Amino acid sequence: MALSLSAQNIVKRYGGVLALSDGNLEVTAGEVVALIGANGSGKSTMSKVINGVVVLDGGQLLLDGKPIAFSSPQAAKKLGISTVFQELSLIPYMTVADNIWLTREPLSSGWRVNRKDVNAKTQELLSLFAGTYKTDLRPDVWVSELPADEKQIVEILKAVSVDPRILILDEATASLDSRQVQRLFDLIKTWKADGKAIIFVSHRMEEIFRIADRYSVLRNGKTVGAGDIKDVSDNDLVKLMVDKDSVFSYSRTGGKKEEKPVCLEVKDLKTKTLRGISFDVREGELVGVGGLQGQGQRDLLLSLYGDIVFSGKVNYNNKPIHFKHPRQAMKNGFALVPGDRAREGLLYIRSILENMQLPSWANYSFPLKMGKAGKDAAEMGAALNLKMASLSEPVSSLSGGNAQKVVIGKWLMRKPGLLLLDDPTKGVDVGTKAEFYSLLTKLCDEGKTILFYSSDDEELIGLCDRVLVLHDGGIKTELAGATLTRENLIAASLGVSEGGAN
Amino acid sequence: MMRFPALFAWILLAVALFVNFLLQPNLFASDTLNSNMRVFLPLILLTAGEAVVILAGGIDISVGAIVSIVNAILATRVGLSGSPEAMWQYVIVALLVGVLAGAFNGFFVAYLRLQPIITTYATSFLYAGLALFILPNPGGGIPSPIAELYRSTMPLKLPLAFFIIAILLGVWAYIRSTRYGNYLYAVGGKPQAAYETAVPVTLVQFSTYVISGLMAAFAGIAITMLSGSGNAEIGAAMTLTSITAVVIGGTALSGGVGGVAGPVVGAITLGFIQNIISFARIDTWWETLVKALIIVAALATPGIINLFRRRE
Repeated sequence: MALSLSAQNIVKRYGGVLALSDGNLEVTAGEVVALIGANGSGKSTMSKVINGVVVLDGGQLLLDGKPIAFSSPQAAKKLGISTVFQELSLIPYMTVADNIWLTREPLSSGWRVNRKDVNAKTQELLSLFAGTYKTDLRPDVWVSELPADEKQIVEILKAVSVDPRILILDEATASLDSRQVQRLFDLIKTWKADGKAIIFVSHRMEEIFRIADRYSVLRNGKTVGAGDIKDVSDNDLVKLMVDKDSVFSYSRTGGKKEEKPVCLEVKDLKTKTLRGISFDVREGELVGVGGLQGQGQRDLLLSLYGDIVFSGKVNYNNKPIHFKHPRQAMKNGFALVPGDRAREGLLYIRSILENMQLPSWANYSFPLKMGKAGKDAAEMGAALNLKMASLSEPVSSLSGGNAQKVVIGKWLMRKPGLLLLDDPTKGVDVGTKAEFYSLLTKLCDEGKTILFYSSDDEELIGLCDRVLVLHDGGIKTELAGATLTRENLIAASLGVSEGGAN
Repeated sequence: MMRFPALFAWILLAVALFVNFLLQPNLFASDTLNSNMRVFLPLILLTAGEAVVILAGGIDISVGAIVSIVNAILATRVGLSGSPEAMWQYVIVALLVGVLAGAFNGFFVAYLRLQPIITTYATSFLYAGLALFILPNPGGGIPSPIAELYRSTMPLKLPLAFFIIAILLGVWAYIRSTRYGNYLYAVGGKPQAAYETAVPVTLVQFSTYVISGLMAAFAGIAITMLSGSGNAEIGAAMTLTSITAVVIGGTALSGGVGGVAGPVVGAITLGFIQNIISFARIDTWWETLVKALIIVAALATPGIINLFRRRE
């Protein structure tokens, strides 16, 4: 009989919060099941129940029809369940090889780890993604030195190195570029053929339709639908997820805009990764920054924000600026929504109010007018449709999408003129994404200028007036209007110049 | 700096040795070297244990008090006129006491998940109190032949401490090459990731406190053999010095980076700094201040170098 795992009526509480009330999932050998749901719908909890990181409060897990129970990841691992964690389970100051084989290191005499063997076996695994690396990825480099996409690949290889029977991929494609995603999908097909059962958790609808055989949709901790992927359309799935119609109608309205004056001029900006880039942005424009991961997009936003050292000329509203500290940028009406909201964007254990007001406390005199601060934060929360129990709850109690709203909200409180967004919809559910899109459009219509980096090509195309495609530290091409197509964007991202004719 | 965390400790050691040599030209004569090294050895042993705890993301500030207990036990149970057999018996007892005290710390920190700094601060009073209970007033000691054995054993005309340090580093090199060695770095580097990878995090954390207790007992035995006498407060000042040595040795207080070799070098360096101060004929009341200034400067140097690098 083919292997099968079945999770039935799973219940999981964190303190008083019911994360899963009726979670169900079936997966059998040789198939890919997409586990879909808005952020906070219980997807992550579901995968953590299956891989033993959390203990379930109700329901049962059946492996090949037999009930199983485990209270630790060790036990799940023994049964052949392996996970690619969304937050990555890698130790920064350990080598790639040590990370992959941690707890399963091949030993030689005297219980010593056989480093030669470890490195050789790692090299073998690394070859699975050969040709998609941007650095010289060797088994003996520290994980902390790798760019995000290569960390993600190491995490994937680590999960696969167990030769699992059931593989859970939790947002495994979030930091990968299109080539790497393609390679992963090719590999998934061979793993399927080997008889592995795969649970694929993703926000990217297009990927789900490319790779999944079946789907299972979670909404507010309940499984609300499951079936064969070929029987549904993306709109059907989205409806199941968010209970809302037509979230994809985010294309900018209003057609041609009047030509506003240029407000941001960048000339020959250079950093460690940027090789001198120049561009102009007009007031009220929404300019996208695209390209593969790690081509200097992050450096571009951070240097404008005064967070990293750069050389070159920048004019803002016809005044030369060269910020050496984010404080100066903030004073001039800049705001940065950082790429890693957990590490750079939020104080997780502090309250929503504190997070929201963190850059703005100076406006509330001394002693602080807490009543006004609370009222303003509540207004911002309402404007962003922030779903929260109260302002005094810690940010850690929010789902990913709602946490991101807090990050955006805290900058909007300062009424910035220029917004720098570093992949703001990464790991955010479709419902919230749609809200973001209309928010960004509205902000631009109000005259705010936005520089928007995204790893999601669809949203760059659907949302932006223009897209600057970065490749290897330079602007490969600029796409706008009729040239702003998916094909051109991908071609330019990969450095193919013919595709992106200006 | 991250790749060779102990580099700075080695540079500092070279500088300290050089300055010391200028003040004390016979520094490298075997008797002088031996008299220095036997004084440094207790701190070296203590630092090695502390380094393991810190590497795995914890901290143990009860180690000095464990040194005191061991000293009190040996000084009262063996006595100045005791037999060598009694001494060796109580050495075993002392080691067991160290392991037990470490296990007590480990139980609270790893299994009850209490804050390491608070827990070991609290137990440090417990252990210091026990030491005073055993030996209320300074006195007692160990038989002088045994103290003499520690002072003047010089295999191959080299200080005994060299051989003990070599064994220490050899054991560490072995531990580092085992799976357990990897676990130390994993647990110290990112405990959540280690847990998700099925590393026995709790057990590893527990074990580091046991190791630290054991090493504190060794340090207590060494310092008792060095002084030959008993004093229930002998270890009190050693705790923070050992943590300083760990940091100078490039093992980050945040855990997961460094090792034991660097901290051992750091402990030797601190010893030579103390030596320099004695030989520089600094007035006694300035001693602490000068020593503290040197240590603060030593700790700050890597940070200052980084600051200039950022400025470019």
